[in-house]
Amino acid sequence: MTPVTGIDFERITLRDALDLAVLIEEEARDRYREFAEQLATHATPEVADFFSRMARIEDRHRTELLERRRTLFGSTPSTVERRNLFDVEAPGYEEARAFMGVRQALETVLACEVKAHAFFNEALPRVKDPELKALFQELRDEEVHHQALVKAELARCPEKADDSEAYADDPVAQ
Amino acid sequence: MNAFLAPNEYKSPLKPIWCPGCGDYGVLQALYRALSAVGRPPHEIAFISGIGCSSRIPGYTTAYGFNTVHGRALPIAQGVKLANPDLLVIVAGGDGDGFSIGGGHVPHAIRRNVDLTYLVMDNQVYGLTKGQLSPTSPRGLKTVTSPMGSLEQPINPLLMVLAYGAGFVAQATPADMPGMTALIEEAIRYPGFSFVNIQSPCITFGEEEQQLKAHKARMKPLASLGHDPANQLAALDLARAYGTELYTGQFYRNPSPPPTYDALVRQRQVELQKGEPRSRSRVLDGYLKA
Repeated sequence: MTPVTGIDFERITLRDALDLAVLIEEEARDRYREFAEQLATHATPEVADFFSRMARIEDRHRTELLERRRTLFGSTPSTVERRNLFDVEAPGYEEARAFMGVRQALETVLACEVKAHAFFNEALPRVKDPELKALFQELRDEEVHHQALVKAELARCPEKADDSEAYADDPVAQ
Repeated sequence: MNAFLAPNEYKSPLKPIWCPGCGDYGVLQALYRALSAVGRPPHEIAFISGIGCSSRIPGYTTAYGFNTVHGRALPIAQGVKLANPDLLVIVAGGDGDGFSIGGGHVPHAIRRNVDLTYLVMDNQVYGLTKGQLSPTSPRGLKTVTSPMGSLEQPINPLLMVLAYGAGFVAQATPADMPGMTALIEEAIRYPGFSFVNIQSPCITFGEEEQQLKAHKARMKPLASLGHDPANQLAALDLARAYGTELYTGQFYRNPSPPPTYDALVRQRQVELQKGEPRSRSRVLDGYLKA
């Protein structure tokens, strides 16, 4: 399944491209918030806190892009909707796990940054307008920077940080 | 016209307690979005469910809700709709609740054609009670109640509801959120009994090939196959592939929906009010003569 549908990258306008970028960040923010709630409910506060932090970061990116959009185009209604995209930068629902550790959560986030980079990279050759090309390149390169930040955090995270699953009881019938 | 209601307006403060990674989280988000698109305010909506993981949905919405007894969501939902036809009534439950314990109610809800939307979160296992064989478990599945593999042929929910004449039949998966949201919205808007079978995997007791990653690789949107949802025979043929192919989208949508049971009841009430009032003695006469 393609992560973005109903958008022709050869004809996309700068306004639509910015709206798409805002929604990509919004979707990621919402999913991380959901993951934070799920993990908090399942007594994994350190991973819940980590996903909450990720949600705040994605929200900051969203706000920055939204401000740029408003500066350039004011409050003209958007033609891009959430139904046009799915899991561009957001982790898939299947990525959350009971008893997941911080290291596993970091790996999930890294995979999301990689797939977001791949999305912009694949879209770039189809974008013709130089201004748009510059925006997509900027967004793609941002993902490389994010990957480096996550990798640095992963390097600081002990290898054995995810042993929690080993202590979980096997599911049994009652 | 109602003011725009954002998806979060339908979200209750109660936090879902499903296992992280459960498909039902995606279903719930799709439901919030579909309700926002439909635009009915929460106080005009009633969620009725049975028992099971997915039957917890009423509590996670700001609409009215009734978490009923196991397998009895459909009869109660029909009662709710007849008592207050202005309510938008949505029924939610699992495959065990709907097709095993409540299986006898499905044909009758369909043949009456009460204006309900029935969302079944089909995970092919009894997840809440820790992984027993369910009516849609594939043959050969090893569970705690079938340690050597199931000997039973699974129920085919799509074929069953189509065969009983449901006017709207679709299948969705949380592996395609925009598609699932659109299908739930269309099911709600359909005037009559509508059914959406949602392949919502159980992350804890489900098989690997039933998980969302596998869905993303396997799913085939019916629209991409050129299927015409008005063609009931083609829908029946496609529905036979349940369990082997993962088709998503509308299998069938009756292009000329018949009047709903609730509309017919209303019509009869109006007709009766127009005629001479029935005297109490005339009603009792029938019993006295017998």
